[in-house]
Amino acid sequence: MISNLLYKELRLAAHPNLFIFALMGPLVLVPSYPYTMVFTFCCIGIYVNFMYARETNDLYYSALLPIKKSDVVKGKVAVTVTAQLASLIISVPFAIINQVIFHTENKAGIAANIAFYGVGLIIFGLFNLVFLSEFFKTVYRAGNAFIKALIPVLIVQILVEVLAHFPGATWAQNVTNSNWLGQTILLVVGLIIYLILTYTSFKISVRRFAQVNL
Amino acid sequence: MDLLKVEHLAKTYPKFKLQDINFSLPEGQIMGLIGKNGAGKSTILKSMLNLVNPDSGTVYFFGQNIKENELEIKKQIGVVLGGVDFYQQKKISTLAKVTSRFYDNWDQVAFEHFLKEFEIDLTKTPKELSAGMKVKLMIALALSHDAKLFIFDEPTSGLDPVSRDDLLNLFKELVATGKRSILFSTHITSDIEKCADSISYIKNGELLESADKETFMDSFAYLKEPTDQKPLTLEEIMVRVEGEHHYDI
Repeated sequence: MISNLLYKELRLAAHPNLFIFALMGPLVLVPSYPYTMVFTFCCIGIYVNFMYARETNDLYYSALLPIKKSDVVKGKVAVTVTAQLASLIISVPFAIINQVIFHTENKAGIAANIAFYGVGLIIFGLFNLVFLSEFFKTVYRAGNAFIKALIPVLIVQILVEVLAHFPGATWAQNVTNSNWLGQTILLVVGLIIYLILTYTSFKISVRRFAQVNL
Repeated sequence: MDLLKVEHLAKTYPKFKLQDINFSLPEGQIMGLIGKNGAGKSTILKSMLNLVNPDSGTVYFFGQNIKENELEIKKQIGVVLGGVDFYQQKKISTLAKVTSRFYDNWDQVAFEHFLKEFEIDLTKTPKELSAGMKVKLMIALALSHDAKLFIFDEPTSGLDPVSRDDLLNLFKELVATGKRSILFSTHITSDIEKCADSISYIKNGELLESADKETFMDSFAYLKEPTDQKPLTLEEIMVRVEGEHHYDI
């Protein structure tokens, strides 16, 4: 069932910008750049995708298919998670190139290191919690949901980019023999937070969408 | 057998109240749901389909309660919502390919046959279709998963007289086998006169009457005035029931 839902999302409902903004991974090759922008761009793509779904009456069409109302939400969460994981995975080879070949420290903020992906997952989790839950309250106020979701995203982003400049912030620097373990722990913590927040947002969205009059 | 049975359906909005709606639609029949704009026709259709959460009431499709058998019921119905266009920029072939995945009994050969009959090109997008063609596309999609009940919300609004007549003839052909039924809402009274077997009339969220066409027309005979030579038309009934509105300007 999930494959049918995802197929529908990708073939019918998806806006091209969802894919374009998920392809921002190469930005981690830019010298001295706030790399967490890769995640923010992906969030913009997701927002555009939801706005497009509203304009194409995707939710009406889906609600009339022989699926449960909660499956309509499941499809939207599935495409959101797909875009977010794709955005992370696509950036990995470029981050490796950055770390292995260029070796230069990022003067703007966090390096494209292991912890960077933990931060990304936390940002995505917070975005999902606010954006999805807010959107499914009305299924038309996508802009409102996005503005609200941007607040935690920007707070974490600014915090990370600023803290990276503090002395001893080895978690934010290039991967070395001494800091890889700490960075990996941050990645695992990020993954756990992402899973919990995304699942919670799914549950809240299902409950709210059930109350919506289309 | 009744393909559709609505019992005590009610829904309250801050500024609108739909109350105690009851009607049923037997196999092989066309029912017209009439009422002026804003009377509650769309709310009834959406409440029946769980798109809107009704406050109370029970809706049976094919003898099954929609609250308990939503998925099975949705496999056997075709719905066209008024003024709701889907995926304007996508090719019809893509729309069909995706839709087909959700129905076990999807018949692609039949779908292509219906499109040919309706003169719709698979490579076109909904945007390139006229309003009448869009309704036909939705009918083709529903027929391809063997829908037994069709629910149309104002399918003829905005159509020219020729397309309207064409669509109404198609409606009659759909129910000709006696196995399928159609419920369609409209405010165009001539549509009902042309093809409906029964009529349900909604006024301000209340069901005034639901009966076969003849009984329905007879039940409003009291509106006849001494000057009326012929029986009242549906349009005259509607205009007299709704009453004149005087403006303070």
